[in-house]
Amino acid sequence: MNGDLILVIVVAAALAFDFTNGFHDTANVVATSISTRAMAPKLAVGFAAVLNFAGAFISLEVAATVAQGIVDADLITPLIVFAGLIGAIAWNLATWYFGLPSSSSHALIGGVVGAAFVAEGAQAVIGSGLVGKVIVPAIVAPILAFAVAGLGILFTYRLVGRLRPGPVNEGFRLGQLVSGGMLAIAHGTNDAQKTMGVITLALVANGNIASDDFHVPSWVVVSSAAAIALGTYVGGWRIIKTMGSRIHKMDAAQGYAAQGAGAAVILASSHVGFPLSTTHTISGAVIGAGAAKRLSAVRWGVAGNIVVAWVLTLPAAAAIGGLTYGFSRLFGTGSAGAIVVSAVILAGAAFLFARRVQRGPTATAPAEG
Amino acid sequence: MLPLAEVVDWGGLWEMLWSSFLAGLAVTIAASLAILGATRAVDARRAGQLVPAGLFSLVGLFGALLLAAAVVFGFVVMTSK
Repeated sequence: MNGDLILVIVVAAALAFDFTNGFHDTANVVATSISTRAMAPKLAVGFAAVLNFAGAFISLEVAATVAQGIVDADLITPLIVFAGLIGAIAWNLATWYFGLPSSSSHALIGGVVGAAFVAEGAQAVIGSGLVGKVIVPAIVAPILAFAVAGLGILFTYRLVGRLRPGPVNEGFRLGQLVSGGMLAIAHGTNDAQKTMGVITLALVANGNIASDDFHVPSWVVVSSAAAIALGTYVGGWRIIKTMGSRIHKMDAAQGYAAQGAGAAVILASSHVGFPLSTTHTISGAVIGAGAAKRLSAVRWGVAGNIVVAWVLTLPAAAAIGGLTYGFSRLFGTGSAGAIVVSAVILAGAAFLFARRVQRGPTATAPAEG
Repeated sequence: MLPLAEVVDWGGLWEMLWSSFLAGLAVTIAASLAILGATRAVDARRAGQLVPAGLFSLVGLFGALLLAAAVVFGFVVMTSK
């Protein structure tokens, strides 16, 4: 009964995290389509939400990596998974409050690793999995997206640069229905699977699934897909209101190249099971499409902030996850610690939200993935 | 210390690199060819140059088919593992 209660809390926290992931990432998925006027804002958000949902059903490779490849599932308890989720949620709340662009995916992995390390020591963390399947792909993916989008836009300008701009823009706006759709599917595939992996890890830790019989239950897939799609849809309305001031102008060809490159990198990494940051990948593609046309078109200060946040996210979320585990253990191994921490986090989130509403939106765009 | 060369999933990383390059460039070049062919075909037809118009139509069609094939192939690969 005690184990089931903490499992319910973990699943609720994981789905809440998934919802906020979709909520924050709407901007990444629909911004390009809206700023080039390829799609009306309401249509773009609805389209992205539906394709996020569909994308979550495509593959389970990333879920397997998160559940089996980063921490030793045999040493993990539901309380460790809970503490890891709290580490990710708390870091996301803090970065959202201060307007720091960070990755929800890295926060989630950092939180779980930190909690596992504090609970069971270094033996609970699969160092080779963390470095080989998370950190190295996380460095490679944005650079790859930058290069593919940059090369793509150079080829594009070579082929269509001397044509009348009207039909070219119309053509690429039409093409963005495809590239934007692919990007939404890619986002749903990679990000929803991280939540699936964490819930499955909790099910293994609680004894509901044998560690040598790894599979992701259908209800986990459906609920994770629904949570990220709902988050995308709800987050879209906030994005629509702030779109005009936060997204820099790009032409339809650049938008198409950036979306195509971002989708290609995220789908390819999902296929091989790398849980990377969709935010950083899409940012890399957008910067690549801009830099290939004109280096000064890129806001290098914003790009620098993304790098700083990238470096900070894993260790910061790990530290919060570890502290949360230590605090929860003060109340024993049962669900009491999780209940107290959940209440503190809910109160903290309500306080930060009220303060942020009172002070108005942050100057920098929150971009998380 | 973990030796980096041993812990990195080089096979997966290589697959990610080449498939991203191929897919990302294929969809961009295919769309560009479709737009180039369609635009030039319209211009040529308006100028009464029917043979170039037909050839550019073929280029446009090739680009559109290449784009569709790249998208379908991508989904088949993603869902077949």
